[in-house]
Amino acid sequence: MINRFANNHLEIEFSSKIKTGEDVCGDDFKSKFIAAEGRYISVLSDGLGSGIKASLLSNMVTTMALKFVEDNVDFLASAEIMMDSLPICEVRKISYATFTIVDAMIDGTTKIIEMDNPHFIHLRGTAEVEHDMKTLVSDRWNDRKIYVSEFKMKHGDRLIFFSDGVSQAGLGQRGHKFGWKREGCLDYIKYLVSQDEDISARKLSQQITTKACTFNPNNRKIDDISCGVAYYREPRRTILLTGPPYKESSDSEFADIIRYFKGKKIICGGTTASIISRELKREILTDIKNKNGFLPMTSEMKGVNLVTEGILTLTELAKYLESGETKETAPSIKELVELFHESDIVDFVVGTRVNIAHQDPTLPVDLEIRRNIVKKIKVILEINYRKIVNVRYI
Amino acid sequence: MKKIDVKICVGTTCYVMGAFQLQHLEDFLDKKSLENVNISGAPCLGCCQDKNYENAPFVEIDGDIIANATIVKIIKEIEERLK
Repeated sequence: MINRFANNHLEIEFSSKIKTGEDVCGDDFKSKFIAAEGRYISVLSDGLGSGIKASLLSNMVTTMALKFVEDNVDFLASAEIMMDSLPICEVRKISYATFTIVDAMIDGTTKIIEMDNPHFIHLRGTAEVEHDMKTLVSDRWNDRKIYVSEFKMKHGDRLIFFSDGVSQAGLGQRGHKFGWKREGCLDYIKYLVSQDEDISARKLSQQITTKACTFNPNNRKIDDISCGVAYYREPRRTILLTGPPYKESSDSEFADIIRYFKGKKIICGGTTASIISRELKREILTDIKNKNGFLPMTSEMKGVNLVTEGILTLTELAKYLESGETKETAPSIKELVELFHESDIVDFVVGTRVNIAHQDPTLPVDLEIRRNIVKKIKVILEINYRKIVNVRYI
Repeated sequence: MKKIDVKICVGTTCYVMGAFQLQHLEDFLDKKSLENVNISGAPCLGCCQDKNYENAPFVEIDGDIIANATIVKIIKEIEERLK
């Protein structure tokens, strides 16, 4: 299955900022990858008002829309069901939440269904691609127009969609009387892409919402600000080697993995690094000034993005990922996580030779078995980070 | 005069057995020693994998392995070599 999609990947990421004074975001974003169909579905919804009430409305819409689209229900009918089922706002006496649905196949065939969100942006390089839209109107809700765009994406294309918190950022402020507007946002996105043509969906969405926050004094957010970005391209790969191979005769094969791999490379383990250094005749530099908090310092090797210690680092990595990146951690862990964030496929190559010294019960720290920690990290990366993770034992 | 090479193993075993403190070696050296040593870290020197692993942490000084390394032991060794 992975091979079938080998050269196509749609990176979908999302960033949102909560309206100043609220505890929860009134916009909601949900995304799903249906592996059997090679299909990505994402929904962004902005609920009427803000806070819990808005969050409830938008969550209902994203949950229903995702299910309806997945089951290929006639869209007008499902939109009617959604509008019918939303609770009516006490203040405004209407039930309302907007949506933008991106329904994309891995071959690039894309359908976008929008209602009342700012019109999405399709960027090819730094140029906007415009599309004819079909308009759907429900007989019972004839003031709500639904727009459908269908097209095929090429590698390097980006789709950017946001709530009106982005386009109306700075509304009423000097220089932005009518807000940042879609055009202002588009110019900024073009600028960001021209500065870094490979900018990931994650970084782009974060930079857009961060910028949108700057238009009001003291970065006050007058509305929830949400932005989703889908980036269609070849997958980005990262490989992580940890642990010496079971048989010493596999050492050169092991080192060749680093030599020939195309993508980012990580080595976790002192012995592992020594083996690769010996086989590839590449020196390892461990600068004593590279202090790394409570974890052993990192090293440098030519052609390798990061060289760290093994078990302690991986154990801490698993804990940090489990905490949802909220706990205090060492710099090397942050670097590792950033490398994962910026890749789509992570390959682990786990050497299974056991270091007898690690099993000594008199050691002051419990050392877990490498294989078990990697299994744990794999599950977190797949479920919480939507990465494709392969593990190979050697 | 050639500087003395001090390599502190920061492999897992050595690290948990005390190399964590050894990283701060330079804070304990006097001016003369400091000018004449080159301190660096090293990913696993491989010493823990033979039978003597209980002697971690290990430090390598100009190619010689010091077992059960402590800051005091390393300083003595450096001073000995500077005589």
